[in-house]
Amino acid sequence: MIAALWKEFLAGTFWQPLSFVLLALGVLLPALAVVFSRNIVHAALWLLPCLVSVAGLFVLLGAEALAGIQILIYCGGIVVLILFAVMLTYGVGDPDIRAFNRQLWWGLLGAAAFAVVAGFALTAQLWPGPPGPVPPDVTGRLADALLKQYVLAFEVSSVILLVAMVGALVVARAEPKE
Amino acid sequence: MNWVTAVPLQAYLTLSAALFAIGLLGVLVRRNAIAVLLGVELMLNAANINFVAFWRYGSSANMEGQVFAVIVMTLAAAEAAIALAIILNVYRRFKTVNVDQINLMKG
Repeated sequence: MIAALWKEFLAGTFWQPLSFVLLALGVLLPALAVVFSRNIVHAALWLLPCLVSVAGLFVLLGAEALAGIQILIYCGGIVVLILFAVMLTYGVGDPDIRAFNRQLWWGLLGAAAFAVVAGFALTAQLWPGPPGPVPPDVTGRLADALLKQYVLAFEVSSVILLVAMVGALVVARAEPKE
Repeated sequence: MNWVTAVPLQAYLTLSAALFAIGLLGVLVRRNAIAVLLGVELMLNAANINFVAFWRYGSSANMEGQVFAVIVMTLAAAEAAIALAIILNVYRRFKTVNVDQINLMKG
């Protein structure tokens, strides 16, 4: 009987909704903390669990390579970059500074309006049902797609990254002393 | 990992819409320009969840969804670098990064 339960557990009807709910909470609660923490360092650090949970969702969807890229680029790159920018601008987050501008209620209204419209669109549409199993060798086929069929977009995005890097260096360079 | 998925597509889309709304809220209400950038990152992640979910629930033999997600991440990195460089420059000039105090062009 335990073996049968274990088999059902592995079949995914139980652990997948469970892990989805846990990951969804892991995305949404840190996202709210990002928006509502007064200290900007805390906000930037709350971004980390949110991004890791998004990587977990990618694994749940069968895109392991993307989960790795997500951890590497977002958690390793962008969050560190943001923390450096915080360090170079404010020193430490000053809790006395107002965190929100004067359009807090209008902003809440706008975000709620978006959520209502998106929810309506989601329920008005008939979405495709559950798909079959994940096709084999997703990572290899992603590499194939990136380097064969979509090699132009891939190369253009890498050139954009290079241009952005040089541009950021030029823009952020300290002004020469007269 | 050849599991059959048991979570409906609507769940992913709802989660992504909620994450997008939270990011939009951050962009609209925060004063600190870096916090606004954090909101933009949340919105980009919401878009990525949608891309990967549609890849999985559409015809997952085509890799367009994942290719899109990779390119979105690349552009997010470029955007963060540029935006932070601009924020550093603004801080040097105005001694603040609060977006409602940088109103030099306000008529």
